[in-house]
Amino acid sequence: MDFFERQDKARRATKWLVLYFIAGVAMLIAAVYLVTALIFTGVDARYHSRHHYGYEEEPPLQTLWNPRLFLGVSIGTLAVIALGSGYKTLELAQGGSAVASMLGGRPVSSSTTDPDERKLLNVVEEMAIASGVPVPQVYLLPDEQAINAFAAGHSTSDAVITVTEGSMRMLTRDELQGVIGHEFSHILNGDMRLNLRLMGAIFGILCLAIIGRVLLQTRSRSSRDRNPLPLLGLALLLIGWVGVFFGRLIQAAVSRQREFLADASSVQFTRNPAGLSGALQKIGRYSYGSRLLSPQAEQASHMFFGNGMGEPFFGLMATHPPIDERIRAIDPAWDGKFPPLSKEQIPVVQAAALAEFERQSHAPSFLESALGAAAMPLSSLGSAPPSDWVEPRRPSFPAPPAVTAQRVLAHTGTPTPTHLRYAEELRNAIPPALQAAAGEGLGSCTLIYGLLLSEDETVQKKQLDELAAATSAEVCQETLRILPQVAGVAAHAKLPLVDLALPGLRHMSPLQFRQFSAAVKVLVESDGEIDLFEYVLQKIVMRHLEPHYLGARRPVIQYYALKPLAGDCAVLLSGLAYIGQQEPEKVASAFEQGAQLLRYAAQADIQLLAEKDWGLDKVDTALNRLSQAVPQIKKNVLDACAQVVAADGVIQETEVELLRAIADTLDCPLPPSIRV
Amino acid sequence: MGVGSVLIIVVVVLVVPLFFVLMWVVGGYNRLVALRNRYKNGYAQIDVQLKRRYDLIPNLVETAKGYIKHERGTLEAVVAARNAAAAANTRAAQTPGDAAAMKELSGAETALTGTLGRLFALSEAYPDLKANTTMMSLMEELTSTENKVAFARQAYNDSVMSYNTVRETFPTNLIAGPFNFMPAELFVIEKPEEKEAPKVSFS
Repeated sequence: MDFFERQDKARRATKWLVLYFIAGVAMLIAAVYLVTALIFTGVDARYHSRHHYGYEEEPPLQTLWNPRLFLGVSIGTLAVIALGSGYKTLELAQGGSAVASMLGGRPVSSSTTDPDERKLLNVVEEMAIASGVPVPQVYLLPDEQAINAFAAGHSTSDAVITVTEGSMRMLTRDELQGVIGHEFSHILNGDMRLNLRLMGAIFGILCLAIIGRVLLQTRSRSSRDRNPLPLLGLALLLIGWVGVFFGRLIQAAVSRQREFLADASSVQFTRNPAGLSGALQKIGRYSYGSRLLSPQAEQASHMFFGNGMGEPFFGLMATHPPIDERIRAIDPAWDGKFPPLSKEQIPVVQAAALAEFERQSHAPSFLESALGAAAMPLSSLGSAPPSDWVEPRRPSFPAPPAVTAQRVLAHTGTPTPTHLRYAEELRNAIPPALQAAAGEGLGSCTLIYGLLLSEDETVQKKQLDELAAATSAEVCQETLRILPQVAGVAAHAKLPLVDLALPGLRHMSPLQFRQFSAAVKVLVESDGEIDLFEYVLQKIVMRHLEPHYLGARRPVIQYYALKPLAGDCAVLLSGLAYIGQQEPEKVASAFEQGAQLLRYAAQADIQLLAEKDWGLDKVDTALNRLSQAVPQIKKNVLDACAQVVAADGVIQETEVELLRAIADTLDCPLPPSIRV
Repeated sequence: MGVGSVLIIVVVVLVVPLFFVLMWVVGGYNRLVALRNRYKNGYAQIDVQLKRRYDLIPNLVETAKGYIKHERGTLEAVVAARNAAAAANTRAAQTPGDAAAMKELSGAETALTGTLGRLFALSEAYPDLKANTTMMSLMEELTSTENKVAFARQAYNDSVMSYNTVRETFPTNLIAGPFNFMPAELFVIEKPEEKEAPKVSFS
C-alpha cells in the first residue's frame, strides 16, 4: 500500500465516521425524546389533575408519540450537538498548535541551547528532511514526567509534534527517533485530520451532558410547582455521558488500529525496531508510564503515542493496544519483562540518554571522517569566535545519485533509513551560520530572501534595492551577510533548507509576515524571467506559512475525476516541457511522454500549449486546482510530470528538486530522491 | 400549552443563550491565553538573542582592553551596563510582559546601547584596534545580533499590542478582569542618537 492509497483510506475512514456519528445522533435524539415524553407526561398528568377547570387547550398527554414534542426535542438536541461540535471544530481549525497549547505545551525554540531539547529538535528535523515535509513546530509539555507524545494538525503545514518532558529526558536518541517516526507516520497517513474531527464530534455530544448538568441545578421558584427541569437535566446528563461513552468507543477503535499502523511505519522509516521497542519498554518500566496529568488530555487521548489515561476498565475503551502487544508486534524476541525503574535509576537513565546523544553529535559522521573535516560542535555556536577563527571545512553536500522517472515517486510519504541517514548528513553539511539563521525570525527571512536572489549581478542589485524598499536596510544588510553561504548551497539542499527555516518563519508577528510576503513577491517578480523553481519555492513557503498567520487552510477535495482538470494538466506539463527543453520538437516529445499517461484517464485531449500561452499565473491556478483532487489523481499527474522531466533520459538534480517542489504544493511529500 | 411548545421555549429561552454565553466565555478566555502565549513566546525569541549579545560583550571588552589604555572608564561602564542588562533580562524572562520587569530591562538595554555606542566612537581613535580582525568580527557579530534583537523585539511588541487591544476592548475585557489577565508592557530601546538630541527644558 503506497502513500496515495493510505491517504485515500484515511479519507474513506472519515466517511464511515460521519455515518456512525449521524446514527449516534439519531439514537441520542430518540433517547432524549423518550425521556422527556415520560417526564412531561407525568408532570402534565399531575398538572391536569390539579387544574380540572378552566384549562381547555389540550387534553392530558396519554400516548408517548407527540409530534410537536418530538420536533422540539430534535431541534434542541441537534442545536446543542451542532453548536458544540461547530465550536470545537472552529477552535481546532487553528491547527495543531491549538491542541498543543490547550494541553499546556510551550514551543521549543529552534535556537535552544538545552542539550536535551537540541537532541529532540535534531531528531525531528532529520525526520522532516528525510520525508520531505516542512519541519513541524515542536512543543514541549513541561510538567508531564510521563513518556508520551502526539502529532496534531490538519495538514503538513500546520502540523505540530508535542512531546512530554519525560520522553525528552528519558529516551535515548534511537528511542526518540522511534517515537518521532511513529508521530510522523500519523502526519503522513492523514490520521491527524481524522483525529481532530473525532474531537469535534465528541465534544458536541459532551455538550449535551454539560447542558444537563446546568439544568440539574435549576430550582423552581415555588416549592409547590413541580419543576421538571432538574429531572430532565439528570436524564440529559446520563444520555450525554452514554453518548460520550459510545463516542469514545469509536474513537478508541479507530485509534487502536492506527497505533499499530504507526508503529509499523515507524519501524519501516527507521528500520530499527530496537529504538521504538526500547521506548515502549521504558514506558512499561517507568513509574509515570505514559499517563498524563493535564485534565484536558482525555479529549486528545486518541492522539497520543502511549495510553495517556491510565488503564481503562475494559479493552474496548482503550485508545491504545496494550504495551506488551505493541512491543511483541515489532520485536518478537522480547522477553516480556518490565523490571521497574527505581527512583535512583531515573537520573542515571536520563544521563545515559543524553551522554549517548552528545557522543554522537561530536563524533564525525562517516562522510565527514572520509573528508577529514571536523564537525563544529553545536555548543560552540553560542560563544564568540576565538581570535584565530578559521571556518572549519564543512563536508560538502552529500549528492543524491540520479534516479529514473519511475523511482522518483516510489517513496512518497515513506522515507527509509537511507533517507534518514542522508538527512542527517545533509543537515550536518549545512554551514553553522545557516543553521543558526534558520533558528530565528530574521535569519530565516533572510535565508528565503537569499534563496530568491538572482545570481546575475545586475538583477541582484535591482532585487536588493527593491528588498530594501519593501523591508528595511537592516534586513538587507543581514541578507547580504548570509548571501555568500546561501549561494554556496547545492541545488538539492535548497528545499531541505526551506523546510528547516519554516519553524523560524513562524516567529514573526502578523505585521512582519505581511512585510515578508510582500518582499518575497517583489523578489520573485523583479527577476524578469520565469524561473519555475523560484516560483514554486515561494509557493511552498507561503503555503506552509498561511495556515499559521491566516488560520488553517482546510484541504477540501473537489475533484474526483481527471476530466475537469485536463486543462490544468496541459498547463503544468507544457510549462515543464518548455523549461526542460530548448528545441521545439524536443519540447513536443517531452510533453507527449507525460500527456499520453493522462489522456485515457482524462477522457479529453491534453495538448501542448503555445509558448506564449503559459505563464506562472496559469501554473499557479493549475496547481491550486490540482491540489484539490483526490490523492490517486495527484499521483497520476505527478507521474506524468516525472515523465516530462525525464524525457531526455536523465533527471537532473535541479529537475528532481522542481518535481519535489511541485509534489509539495500538491501535499504529496517526496523524500529526497536517492538510491535506496 | 403543549409539552412540545414548552420544550421549544425552554430550549430557545434558556439553553441556547446559556450555551452561547458559555461558549463565548470559553472562547474569549482561550483567545486571551493564545495571545498571551504568543507574546511570551515572542519574548523567548528576544531572550535568546539578548543572551548571545551579553556573551559577546565581555569578549569585545577583553579585546579592546589591550588597545585602549587611557579611557578605562568607558570599558568599565560597558561591563557594568552589560551586567545590569543581563540581570534585568533574567528577571524579565521569568515574567515576560510584567510592567516593572520590562521597564527595568528597557532602561538597562537603553543604557547598554548608549555605552556601547560610546565605545564604538572611542575605537575610531585607535586605528590598530579598528584593524584588529577579532574586533572586526566581534563588532560585525554584535551588529548582526542587534538586528536580530530589533526584529524579535518588533514581533514581541506587535503581539503585546494585539494582546493588550483584545484585553481592553469589549467584550473580552469582561473576561480579562476576573481571570486576571494583566496588561503587558512593550519592550522599547531608545536609540542613543534620539536620546542625545538636544532637549529644551523650561523648568
